[in-house]
Amino acid sequence: MKYTALCKFELSATSREEAIAELLGLFPVGERSQNLLAGALDIREKVGATVVHNTIVLPHCRSILVDKLTIAVGRSEAGIGWPDKKIHTVILFVSPVRLNAPQDHTRFLSHIAGRIKKYGDKIVTAENQKELLDLLGFQHEELESR
Amino acid sequence: MNKQLEKLISLHDLDVMIADLGRKDIIKREMEMGLQSDDALEELKKLREEYCGSINRKWRGLYNQLTRHYGNAVVPALMGRCAGCLTRLPTAVCSDPERNMKIHTCPTCGRIIYWAD
Repeated sequence: MKYTALCKFELSATSREEAIAELLGLFPVGERSQNLLAGALDIREKVGATVVHNTIVLPHCRSILVDKLTIAVGRSEAGIGWPDKKIHTVILFVSPVRLNAPQDHTRFLSHIAGRIKKYGDKIVTAENQKELLDLLGFQHEELESR
Repeated sequence: MNKQLEKLISLHDLDVMIADLGRKDIIKREMEMGLQSDDALEELKKLREEYCGSINRKWRGLYNQLTRHYGNAVVPALMGRCAGCLTRLPTAVCSDPERNMKIHTCPTCGRIIYWAD
């Protein structure tokens, strides 16, 4: 599975919309695409909040606007209102829409579920970007295959 | 980007979300993680209807027709080709910096094309 993993350890956002916009700002896509992705993620959140493990949230969707799985991880010491829960770690990901993409999407969900189950508390208290990405099993920037 | 084109891309992503909620493997995984709500599918379908209402009738009709036929109505242009059928797109269209300002369709398969920004 090819993916791009990006990280912003100190998010300045205080609301869900701001956090999504801040993390989408890391995506290698233009502003228009970022706005459309924000719309899709907002819809996904409205039909069911993606909060897991108390303070970790997983906003995600599949979109034709990305050509490979793109993940942006963010941390906020102060916390982000999501909207009624205070969360500290955001793992935002967008999977492409391709023939084998639903399987890749499910595989990634399984991967992230396993990591959160195993290292949930450590993920929340990770002290730096490298530790956070290591705990999630990602490598910063681009990975061609895993 | 053309507003109608933006809406068609969003409608496509919404349809993918609806289709995913019908996939047992995705539902199972999301249920395990506590990410599924019982009425999510109904809410998404309601949103889709609202969304469709804001799209020009002509484009909505074409979108529905293409979706029925191919399963995907909107595709990106990749290296000057339609990502749906791989037909080379006209050079004049591909090199136009304003290419996303109007809706283009593939001359072969008819799918709606957009250029990633």
